[in-house]
Amino acid sequence: MNLIGAKTLFMKEVRRFLRVPGQTVLQPLISTALYFVVFAYTLGGRQSELEGVPYIQYIVPGLVFLGVANNAFLNASSSFFITKIQGTLVDLLVAPLGPVELLIGFISGAMTRGLLVGLLTWAVTLFFTGAHLVHVGGTLVFLLLSAYVFSMLGLVAGVWAEKFEQINFFPTFLMMPLTFLGGVFYSVRHLPEPFRTISLLNPVVHMVEGLRAGMLGLPEGSPLGLGLLLVLAVGSTLTAWQLLRVGYKLKT
Amino acid sequence: MAPVLEVAGLVKHYGTHRALDGVSLQIEAGEIFALLGPNGAGKTTLIGAACGLVRKTSGTIKIFGLDLDQDPISPRYRIGLVPQEINFDPFFTVRESLRIQQGYFGQNPDDARIDELLAALSLTSKAEAQTRQLSGGMKRRLLIAKALVHRPKLVFLDEPTAGVDVELRRDLWTYVRKLKAEGTTVVLTTHYLEEAEELADRVGIIDQGQLLLLEEKHALMKRLGERTLTVRFTSRVAALPPGVEGVLAADQLSFSFTERTGTQTSAEVLSVLFAAKLPVADVSMQPAKLEDVLLRVLKGGPAS
Repeated sequence: MNLIGAKTLFMKEVRRFLRVPGQTVLQPLISTALYFVVFAYTLGGRQSELEGVPYIQYIVPGLVFLGVANNAFLNASSSFFITKIQGTLVDLLVAPLGPVELLIGFISGAMTRGLLVGLLTWAVTLFFTGAHLVHVGGTLVFLLLSAYVFSMLGLVAGVWAEKFEQINFFPTFLMMPLTFLGGVFYSVRHLPEPFRTISLLNPVVHMVEGLRAGMLGLPEGSPLGLGLLLVLAVGSTLTAWQLLRVGYKLKT
Repeated sequence: MAPVLEVAGLVKHYGTHRALDGVSLQIEAGEIFALLGPNGAGKTTLIGAACGLVRKTSGTIKIFGLDLDQDPISPRYRIGLVPQEINFDPFFTVRESLRIQQGYFGQNPDDARIDELLAALSLTSKAEAQTRQLSGGMKRRLLIAKALVHRPKLVFLDEPTAGVDVELRRDLWTYVRKLKAEGTTVVLTTHYLEEAEELADRVGIIDQGQLLLLEEKHALMKRLGERTLTVRFTSRVAALPPGVEGVLAADQLSFSFTERTGTQTSAEVLSVLFAAKLPVADVSMQPAKLEDVLLRVLKGGPAS
């Protein structure tokens, strides 16, 4: 196991996104803050309640999730894709870095960016709602799990994509629908059937509900949802590991 | 002692195209091996297969005695590659890029090594510059530094001096000789045949995925090289002495002779000319060129 190699890749990934903080940290922070202002204030959310908590408070976990998931995914996918485009992939393939070291380096770097943006998003919302963190452990589990799964999916997308158009395919056609229909701004428990059951098949719902249960103490989330996320985490890891092991679209 | 690189029956197909068609060769420790051939011959594919960039169709590759099918990772700690295509990460400086490269190879940052390489490659003044600010030649030199920064024992140089000016090319040659003196094995592909002629101990010629020839350079040059002797006279010479091979020019003021395997030697020809007391004004000798040898082999001339 090349631990120095994996650590070097991780440090490189973190320094890379910190070199362009306006694009990698500030921009997503502003987007999320705008969601917060629009949905919670201008659309009348300030007066309403959901599940017994003020609406502006209710959507905070979902917004934190958005920050984590989007940035974890984008960091892994764009970083790996750019490595292919600029030709520095050769450096990684020639070096004694197996699939495990590559996974550790890229995933930990992407998770760091996702969690950093999530944390900063939460910090911004504190000004509007005050601090609410009922279960630290539960919150951490779902934050880390969300960051991990989306980093892994981002890496798979980065390996698969050959054109810029393809790298945008996942965020546009998969992540956007899944997150917006994933109960970030509403509770899927209140949807009529069959939409409620269909929504529960969306893993994002369980990530958001888990975070909501952790941060706000709401009776949302379920062991089944957590199990689904763990299966997704294992499945995406095995997929990414196999792609890197055989050099899918990486080796000629 | 096991060969540093051992390739046996290596085949690589891209669809119906056979990029490598049963290549076998061995490269011994401490030698400089030049792999020559036209564009698309299979040179880069062969290097790519050894360096983990290309998935072979069949055959075996052993590096430092380890079969890459059994252990693809361990041998890589001791190899370095200068790829043909220039690449750089625009987010980092030259020094940072080299530190990252050391880390990839499991080494902690070693600035003394980095400074030594930067000096050898005339990049010291650019150590803290962003890589995107480097000229094309400097980027090429950075690639060379990246390939060597972890002190590999087997180095693949795939067109290392393309786009590098003459002076720096000579500097690189000096550095490659230093690597050899330190026991490093070098596999080189180049379009500058003068480079191979200057550096190589052994030469391999590959075309259409097949290795046509594999031979020690001096033996090859002696066997297939052609030297040209030219003699100019102070006055016209009506006829050559009997038994002299060569051609008298139409103006009878010069004579030329091509020396190759099986012919008279230039020394023998000259001694006959002097013995006949011909009015010799000047003698010049054009040495054998690897370029001519390569062309002869590629055109189907005698091979090993």
